[in-house]
Amino acid sequence: MADYEAQIEHNILEHEEEEPSANTTRRAVLQAAIGVGVAGTVLSTLYVGAGLVPKKVFTPENEPLAAGDILVYAQGPNQNKPINPADLKVDVLQIIAYPMNPKTNVVKGSDPNNTVLIVKIQPSRLTPATAKGAVDGIVAYSGVCKHLGCIVSNWDPNLEQFVCPCHQGHYDPANSGKVMSGPPPKPIPQLPIKIENNQIIAMAFFLAPPGVNA
Amino acid sequence: MYQWLDERLDITRFNNKVLRKAFPVHHTFFLGEITLFAFVVLVLTGIFLTFNYEPSTRLIKVAGYTDPVQAAYASILYIDSLPFGAVIRSVHHWSAHIMIAAAFLHLLRILLSGAYKKPRELNWIIGMLMLVTSIVVAFTGYALPYDNYAVTATRIGHGIAQSVPWVGVAVAQIMFGGDFPGSDHSIPRLFSLHVLWLPLALMGLIGAHLLIMVKQKHTQPKYAEKVAPGKILGVPLFPQQAVMSGVLFLVYVAVVTLIAGGFLAHPVEAYGPLSANTPAVKPDWYFLWIYGLLKIIPSHWEFTIPLFNGGKFGPEFWGGVLIPSILLVGGLLIPFFSVTKDGQKQRYLELPSQKPVRTSLTIAGLMFLIMGTLAGYIGDSGMEWLTIPVAWTLLIVAPIVTYFVCYIIMRAIWGKTWPQEPQIEFIGGAKGSAADD
Repeated sequence: MADYEAQIEHNILEHEEEEPSANTTRRAVLQAAIGVGVAGTVLSTLYVGAGLVPKKVFTPENEPLAAGDILVYAQGPNQNKPINPADLKVDVLQIIAYPMNPKTNVVKGSDPNNTVLIVKIQPSRLTPATAKGAVDGIVAYSGVCKHLGCIVSNWDPNLEQFVCPCHQGHYDPANSGKVMSGPPPKPIPQLPIKIENNQIIAMAFFLAPPGVNA
Repeated sequence: MYQWLDERLDITRFNNKVLRKAFPVHHTFFLGEITLFAFVVLVLTGIFLTFNYEPSTRLIKVAGYTDPVQAAYASILYIDSLPFGAVIRSVHHWSAHIMIAAAFLHLLRILLSGAYKKPRELNWIIGMLMLVTSIVVAFTGYALPYDNYAVTATRIGHGIAQSVPWVGVAVAQIMFGGDFPGSDHSIPRLFSLHVLWLPLALMGLIGAHLLIMVKQKHTQPKYAEKVAPGKILGVPLFPQQAVMSGVLFLVYVAVVTLIAGGFLAHPVEAYGPLSANTPAVKPDWYFLWIYGLLKIIPSHWEFTIPLFNGGKFGPEFWGGVLIPSILLVGGLLIPFFSVTKDGQKQRYLELPSQKPVRTSLTIAGLMFLIMGTLAGYIGDSGMEWLTIPVAWTLLIVAPIVTYFVCYIIMRAIWGKTWPQEPQIEFIGGAKGSAADD
């Protein structure tokens, strides 16, 4: 016991006699080591944590719309059949459509951003810019509301505007999908179309990126 | 037997510390318990539901549907086909509503009676966190049936999460497992959050809430100050309080089962599986005020800070994230601005009539939420008088008017008696009257 106490006494004396600068160096080295360890842990956690953001897997069904795609009914009795322009009547509820790859006949309905609204209005009401992408009064727009991403599936027959049922955003189909009332921040982008063989065909991609965040 | 256990587990100490804990008797003191009962029922019915639910959006063929439907949707059809399956699903649904309602009323009781003051600030903060967590749990459960209505409602939540500047997209991608709807990871991830991680967090918070409550003791109702000044008044946890709570729990289960039997919740077959049509969705009542704010905030209220990528502050952020966050932070700070005199500990509850400013502010705050909720009905048939300018006027003016009206009424009725202590009369023996209350 006495030996033990003497040992401790000795240790204390020994350390007291040390240069104070030796302690500071030791402390600095340890602090640097801790800092490096923490930084390494944080960085590697972030690297692993990035796996929480899922990878987008592309399948034929969720590829983005492309020029040349045929527009087909998204629902109803004619689901997945090409829309015949002759069936469209002026100023009635828009048809909700998906693009179909003309080579593989795969309907690209898995990505909501591929949703397209098709409506026919009086050709004389179209603004010149909108008329460029329209045929015979038939216009097509992205169906995803710019506000919070609902599908703009309603039609106001008095105002002749698309209405999003979620928060009452109104869009004007005669004027580049301009927001007429409600909270949407931007117009829904137009999809320029052409008509071939009684089918409505996308001439290019939407004139602006579709979806909420774009 | 008792002695054998006592020597090993020190039951006597447990008995003295916990089972003899005094519970003040007052009907408003049961609101927190009802919240807990709702949670217990949610866990029990939730176990039944998880056993029969497939968290997946793979397409499968189901009798009665021409097109394949998502497995999640199909499993709800399966649950509804089980004996009392639809009732159990409805009990789960209505219990979630009751839990949030009871938690909110519990919060109002604590607020109006000043029970959040020192030393109970911590439990106030934990309580607020539990309310927020409960609402998030309810939201993550919303998408799971994967019918058209649920998907649309959740899609709006995805849009709101994305609207947070800079981090929003990453948060939405992580919480919703990618784009919603569309990603195969969405339902498994929301399922995991809904049945595992968030309830675990809630259980931890509930445990802390109760332990702190036992440690700090309940605030005493006002009558206790007259009946037994300086003493702790109440019935012991075991057996009296336990019997009362047990009876109340059974009453709770009976009532919620009755409601569930009468009003089957969320009829997935009526909404149908996910389709391109957007149904006219309204969120649950506790989100309606946010929904109303989203409807009336104009689209041009936005600016972008061109620093890094995505510093956009838009209307969805103001209404869906910022205003609720400001209210939450304001709520969390209440016990640090409304304090007791000289840093004393709050032993007795305050009567709402004695604190006219706080009571009037609380009612004005409720009026704000009610007016926001009203704005959620813009565009509905029969609500044509409610335009966006009218809703804005009501949202701003109604709470202010409410505040002054409340304050003036309270002054007129109680103003003269404020300097005095409240007079409480006991008829037929003080103790008996208190316990019967």
